[in-house]
Amino acid sequence: MKSAYPPAAMAASIQLTVPGTLRYRAIAVRVVAEAARMVSGSNQRAPNDLLDLDVRDPFDTAVVSAFMEIFNNVAVHAYRHKRGGRIHIAITPSTSELVIEVIDHGETFDLEGVPPLPDELDEHSLPEGGMGIHIAKTMLDEVTYEPGPPNLWRLCKRLPANPLASGAGRR
Amino acid sequence: MATPYEIQSSTNQTKLTVRGSLDINTAPALAEEIDRIIAAKPGKVDVDLTSLDLIDSSGVAALVKLYKGIRAAGGAVAISGARDQPLAIFKLLRMDKVFNL
Repeated sequence: MKSAYPPAAMAASIQLTVPGTLRYRAIAVRVVAEAARMVSGSNQRAPNDLLDLDVRDPFDTAVVSAFMEIFNNVAVHAYRHKRGGRIHIAITPSTSELVIEVIDHGETFDLEGVPPLPDELDEHSLPEGGMGIHIAKTMLDEVTYEPGPPNLWRLCKRLPANPLASGAGRR
Repeated sequence: MATPYEIQSSTNQTKLTVRGSLDINTAPALAEEIDRIIAAKPGKVDVDLTSLDLIDSSGVAALVKLYKGIRAAGGAVAISGARDQPLAIFKLLRMDKVFNL
């Protein structure tokens, strides 16, 4: 597995490998949501309800929303819903940011070919597709894609300078 | 997986309640129901998102399909109750103004 991280940082990362289909999306999203909470310090509304993802904090919202779109993209575009592929996910939380690497061995994706959203949106120009990459790019501080094989998505969300200003509380 | 939506129809009005997660795994089933709702040409569709916890672009696409389909047939769509992550997504996509959220 290739990584943009030095060995010391990787040692602190959370590694997850799931089959590259949408069937395993919820598991990956749940792990990412919990890692986001570790960084943001947000509290779960119902900590005893393990089925409740409870994504309300702005940092958690950004990370989970973007990751869901990237996972969708890999399962749909890289693996084209076919079984047999694997998605490797490396999550590196720190006190200031969360970095997620998503690695697949499927087909490469044309990131530059994704059309931008219309400048002016009305009920006639509402898009019915092509929103996923826009969501990921806008929600995060960094989204990079390195075509492979293997293909590498690198996602980074940083905490604001003053976490209290974003509503995120420290435990 | 529990059905993330409920549909109540009367003579000229339909209420669609969406709950839980509307995403790439759950949106296709809702999209099929949306085709049926549009075909029935109701005068008004109320969409209640109060219990919707998560949405992704596939879920947004399903709601856009409903909105455009009903409006194209001369009907009205009222979307209400969006909060937390779903509201953030609608705002990011600048759909909050179109949907009057």
